Amino acid sequence: MATEESTSDGLGRSTALRLQHLKGRLFEVALVAATLVGIVSLLALFAQISIDAFQPGSASPTWFLVYLGTLVAPTAAFTLYARRRPAVRETNAKAFAAVFGGLLLSFVTYAVVDSLSPYDVFTYVFFTSLPPAIVVAYDRTTDDRTFTGPAIPASIVVGLAVAALLYDVVRGPIGIAAEWIMYFGLVTVPAALLIGTLTASRRGRRSGVVAGGSVIVGGLAVAVASIVTGTNAAFPVVLFSAFVVPTGYVLWRSVRTDPEGRVGVAGPFVLLGGTLLGAAVVGQFGIQNPDTFLTPTLLLESWDGLRANNAGVYPQIVGSIIIVGFMAVLAFPVGIGAAIYLEEYAPDSGLRGRLATLLEINISNLAGVPSVVYGLLGLALFRRTLGFGTGIVFSAAGTLGLLILPIVIVSTQEALRAVPDALRQGSYGMGASRWQTLREVVLPEAIPGTLTGTILALARAIGETAPLVIIAVATTKYSPPSGLFSSATALPLQIFAASANAKPEFRHGVVPAAAVVLLILMLLMNATAIVIRNKYGREH
Amino acid sequence: MSSESNETASLQRSGFVVRKERLYGRLIAACAVLTIVVTVGIILALSGRALSFWSQISPIAYFTGTSWSPVIAQNYGVLPLISGTLIVTVCSAVIALPIGLAAAVYLSEYASDKARSILKPSLEILAGVPTVIYGYMALVYITPAFKGVFPSLRTFNALSASIVVGIMIIPMVSSISEDALSAVPDSLRQGGYGLGSTKFDVSTKIVVPSATSGIVASYVLAISRAIGETMAVTMAMGMSPQMPYFPDLFRNLAESGQTITAAMVQIANADSLGTGPTYEAMFALGMTLFAITLTMNVFAELVRRRFREEY
Amino acid sequence: MSESGTSPKIQTTIETGDEDRRDAPLDARETVIETRDLDVYYGNEQALDGVSMEINEHDVTALIGPSGCGKSTFLRCINRMNDMIDVCRVEGDVEFAGKNVYDDDVDPVALRRKIGIVFQKPNPFPKSIRDNVAYGLKIQGYDGDVDERVEESLKRAALWDEVSGQLDSSGLELSGGQQQRLCIARAIAPDPEVILMDEPTSALDPVAASKIEDLIDDLAEEYTVIIVTHNMQQAARISDRTAVFLTGGQLVEYDDTAKIFEDPEEQRVEDYITGKFG
Repeated sequence: MATEESTSDGLGRSTALRLQHLKGRLFEVALVAATLVGIVSLLALFAQISIDAFQPGSASPTWFLVYLGTLVAPTAAFTLYARRRPAVRETNAKAFAAVFGGLLLSFVTYAVVDSLSPYDVFTYVFFTSLPPAIVVAYDRTTDDRTFTGPAIPASIVVGLAVAALLYDVVRGPIGIAAEWIMYFGLVTVPAALLIGTLTASRRGRRSGVVAGGSVIVGGLAVAVASIVTGTNAAFPVVLFSAFVVPTGYVLWRSVRTDPEGRVGVAGPFVLLGGTLLGAAVVGQFGIQNPDTFLTPTLLLESWDGLRANNAGVYPQIVGSIIIVGFMAVLAFPVGIGAAIYLEEYAPDSGLRGRLATLLEINISNLAGVPSVVYGLLGLALFRRTLGFGTGIVFSAAGTLGLLILPIVIVSTQEALRAVPDALRQGSYGMGASRWQTLREVVLPEAIPGTLTGTILALARAIGETAPLVIIAVATTKYSPPSGLFSSATALPLQIFAASANAKPEFRHGVVPAAAVVLLILMLLMNATAIVIRNKYGREH
Repeated sequence: MSSESNETASLQRSGFVVRKERLYGRLIAACAVLTIVVTVGIILALSGRALSFWSQISPIAYFTGTSWSPVIAQNYGVLPLISGTLIVTVCSAVIALPIGLAAAVYLSEYASDKARSILKPSLEILAGVPTVIYGYMALVYITPAFKGVFPSLRTFNALSASIVVGIMIIPMVSSISEDALSAVPDSLRQGGYGLGSTKFDVSTKIVVPSATSGIVASYVLAISRAIGETMAVTMAMGMSPQMPYFPDLFRNLAESGQTITAAMVQIANADSLGTGPTYEAMFALGMTLFAITLTMNVFAELVRRRFREEY
Repeated sequence: MSESGTSPKIQTTIETGDEDRRDAPLDARETVIETRDLDVYYGNEQALDGVSMEINEHDVTALIGPSGCGKSTFLRCINRMNDMIDVCRVEGDVEFAGKNVYDDDVDPVALRRKIGIVFQKPNPFPKSIRDNVAYGLKIQGYDGDVDERVEESLKRAALWDEVSGQLDSSGLELSGGQQQRLCIARAIAPDPEVILMDEPTSALDPVAASKIEDLIDDLAEEYTVIIVTHNMQQAARISDRTAVFLTGGQLVEYDDTAKIFEDPEEQRVEDYITGKFG
């Protein structure tokens, strides 16, 4: 009755309207399906690749039960507990970042320095950091700071030149020292300085000196202990200085300053403890492990194309990290500089305004140039014009640097554009110059956005294959690159080369495992970028 | 008198500070100009060798030849490679363009904030996965799975390659289209609802038509990306250049083939590096590819600039 | 100066209004929209407080009041445009032709086809002039002669003479006043019963605004017009009845326009109208 009435009013749903609404609902369902189809098919493929890499079918059911009890259940319970309490959740996230970030930092530092030779790295780092250190020290003692700003980058260049000139003279004497002393100088000393400065800024100069000093003493103690027990002191020193000290500092501060959330610190240890406990139980009772291909061998050995259980991608992983790291050194300053010019300096009109428009169009076009064409550019530039050797780290990093340059520029531009104009006006109103405004006001605001963009660019670069194939980077290498001018290798190249191998233990084993490693690296970078974006993105 | 001159002096710029500011300005301007140098470098690097190639192999033979066999038969006809590129591009576009637009409409018009904050980064991951992994998945998982359905499918085939290329360019369509859809002012939606439109009507008859130029730009950019895609097609589609088959169109998908980019990888991977027309053919192919993608990108950029000024 | 300049105008409108009323006595006019105890909240903030009001067919009803008083909110409640705002909550009744529009079985889409709306800022779709006017017909599945209806609507919106030669050019190419008349043509093309207008002239120059005002007078012959305005002289010129909202979302006084402007019951209303407040 009521329906009839409303139909006669024309306000209810007539048949035609009902059909229209049905059409609308079907449309929405179709949209959801379309949005999900790509994501779901990719997830299915990821699942396939992970199953091949991990081989869960080969483990006994008890194995799953053990890890369910020691690892999955406690971690899940803790995560659920933390999710309900914002303070705990935040500390938990921080602790995870600190623990795994510290571990990752230690491994990467050790692997990279080890393959490049600790003596060489130490020599160059020492000579390039000494002059700027002197400038900074001078800056502290004087009131006239007109010259110190430009002097810092200039002194770095001078230091680099001095290092190159004196290399042959200095390298010999330095080589006499034990290896761990190099790592001590490269990692422990900066860690001590960092902790010392942080403590000094909070609790006064004396505490700072004590904190820094104790890091130095601790590092020495670790070295002595390792030497006494007869192990190589290098890695323990790195682990202590790049993991134990910074992670300990962050966790200790959370515990001290945040009584509400301090339970969250336990998060990563529940995870690590669960893993270790599970392994102990499995070992004790002889439970069947899965025949996984994601093994320490994969991460630490070099590739043996014949037997799958010997195959590893250590040289490729380290090679990728070195290439991408050096690429960042080359491309980021230029990319950020270009973005600053376009957003903050370039005028809107006139001849230079038109130049800026041209630059913008050019940059968006460069972003669309196929990566394989950048390979040809790298080939022509580094091999033909500069006469570098085939497939060396420098060429690979330079080529990828040119490739990601537009990405860095565009994302930095967006970050700068998001800084409200009122802040700039405020700074100019106080009598600051353009450069001072940039350095003190605009850039600090734009850092999170810039960071997001640059990390995404790194993630893109680490998976890039085609340009490396074109500049003929080697796939089969048994050791990581030993310097910027030694021949490079990269993880994606190994996957490309090995995809032709039809042996099942490769095709459905080691290669998927290598792919999982690459995917994890790339997803970690993406996740970091997203976390930074979500954390700071809401501020403006 | 003297105090006066002192005061004016303090209002004048200190010479060094001015020079310092100017130096910084010039340095970062140089960074920006470097991007032009990169473009010019690409053009020079490609054209030098490509011209040298075309002085040995006539451009007519290159652009009209129907056989690409640089090593064995010294045939440098680019048409089979263009055919391979076209097949992959068309099929991946058939997958990605509607899906990408639908995702954009969903994200811009329907999705809640929460759903958006999860779906948008997830879609971006599609474009972030290394293409070599896409290629591997196409070769090792997709092709065997499809062989059950289409027995005529080769180990290397255009179908699997097109599917993964389609998946990886979805975010290109969805994110640029979504920007365009979100830029449609809310007052137009209100106007539509005020006239008694359903959400379906507002989305399809007002918002999407108003964002046409942005959507077109996203399509062109995505197609350009598909044309330049290298590793996935090299690994999944193989290295045997083919002219298109008529009239059995499905055979084009089931057979293997070779794209322009895959041919470049093949030449680069070969041992004889450095000289000869085959090596230079790689640059001629690069030039061809660059010309095609540059044209499309400039077109997309122009369309995009126009739509930004529309409302 | 403004006193002497405006009062005669008010006078004439009031007279015409009175004449209208004499032609059609009040009880002969049917109530088309009636609200009872209407409360509207945006989140925790109350935007309307117990508004009860009866709006007559073929009247021009003006809603006036200082900004933030809830007059636009009230207008948008009538055809449920507020549904689109997530935090908006409506309590009380809005009856249209005897049916509460907030009943579960009322489809807002169907409602808006009966009660059209014209917004403050002209918002023509980026389509041709013809397609703009035909849009409402298209979505409602009109099966008559569309071109004829387009012409008729444009004529009624007093725009036909200016655009008849360029129906296929974009609606965005018109001037602001023309755009607004295009939006009115668009709203009346599907032949609604009520037209809501949310400050339709506030974004326009005085000449364009006066054209719209003349138009509203003509529209009232066929439609019921409810108009929100912050321009009191405009309300006096064009409306038959006027509702005054004051801060807090309360309807303070609602009566014949002549009564409101000459002899309001409430001191606050008099203060507002004479400019002492608001």
